[in-house]
Amino acid sequence: MATNPMHQFNVYRIGPEVNIAGVDLSFTNSSLFMLISALTICIFLFLATKEKKLIPGKLQLTAELFYNFIAKMISDTAGSKAKPYFPFIFSLFMFVLLCNMVGMLPYSFTVTSHIIVTLILALFIFISVTFIGFLKHGFKYLKIFVPSGVPVLLLPLITVIEIISYLSRPVSLSVRLFANMMAGHTMLKVFGGFVISLGLIGGWLPLTFSVALTGLEILVAFLQAYVFAILTCIYLNDALNLHH
Amino acid sequence: MQNKGNFKTRLKIAKSKLNSDSSNKSNKSGTLLGFAFKLGTEFVAAVAVGTIIGFILDNWFDTKPWLIIIFFFLGSVAGIMNVIRAANRMQKE
Repeated sequence: MATNPMHQFNVYRIGPEVNIAGVDLSFTNSSLFMLISALTICIFLFLATKEKKLIPGKLQLTAELFYNFIAKMISDTAGSKAKPYFPFIFSLFMFVLLCNMVGMLPYSFTVTSHIIVTLILALFIFISVTFIGFLKHGFKYLKIFVPSGVPVLLLPLITVIEIISYLSRPVSLSVRLFANMMAGHTMLKVFGGFVISLGLIGGWLPLTFSVALTGLEILVAFLQAYVFAILTCIYLNDALNLHH
Repeated sequence: MQNKGNFKTRLKIAKSKLNSDSSNKSNKSGTLLGFAFKLGTEFVAAVAVGTIIGFILDNWFDTKPWLIIIFFFLGSVAGIMNVIRAANRMQKE
């Protein structure tokens, strides 16, 4: 095992090199763990909903818990109009959650600790929310940049600020998830390294920290998935219910 | 199914729980913690986006370094507005 705490974030190729039109499309360890997360979700939900009992078993109960959690989140933050987008937010939440959680397993790879992954997710949300906004409201959606009750003199300034604020959404969304995951995993690795280098006598303190941090990281993994999903709901709310 | 009545009362309790607001409370601390994580990046992202826009516009119009300075401050204002909005949302809930 490498002692370099950043070594865990290395992306390397698994299997043959695939190169299509100058773009490297090889299967990497990152793709492998994305696939594992996605397959885990599919298998879990398939098994959980195979036997639909009135009194649910443990597996079905867990699935229903997730369903209720997301359904409640959507109706609380974005209202009933956002109901059609439930599948999107549910899969988004489950994917981020599973990627974070799979990353907590030893010897695994944390997909969400790479900014390109989170940025693509965030950009996808940003573009689709903007698209939904224009689809529902047409050019009236541009009113989101022009808050009401502002003096005419200040209007150009405020509009520019609003546009910057709007454009900062995908950045803050992706950076938050990426930074939290990467910082947490680096910290875990650093403390793990301390245990080895301090040996049997001094290694107990960092080991205690390591255990505590693992608990914290699991909390962060859940929380970041939650924040990711709830912010998507909030952005969707802004797009669906224009109230400026 | 020996305790059918028992199940019915349990169902009633579960249903009333679903409708009342008391089920919200368990989520609340998690929500607040989630929003606390949010505030920092909210500010930084707006400043970064503002600066990048300024940089690109500077290259376009050949006005180095004026637009990057202006947009840095505009980005800071946008960041403060983002934080205030997030805090307002937090207070509402």
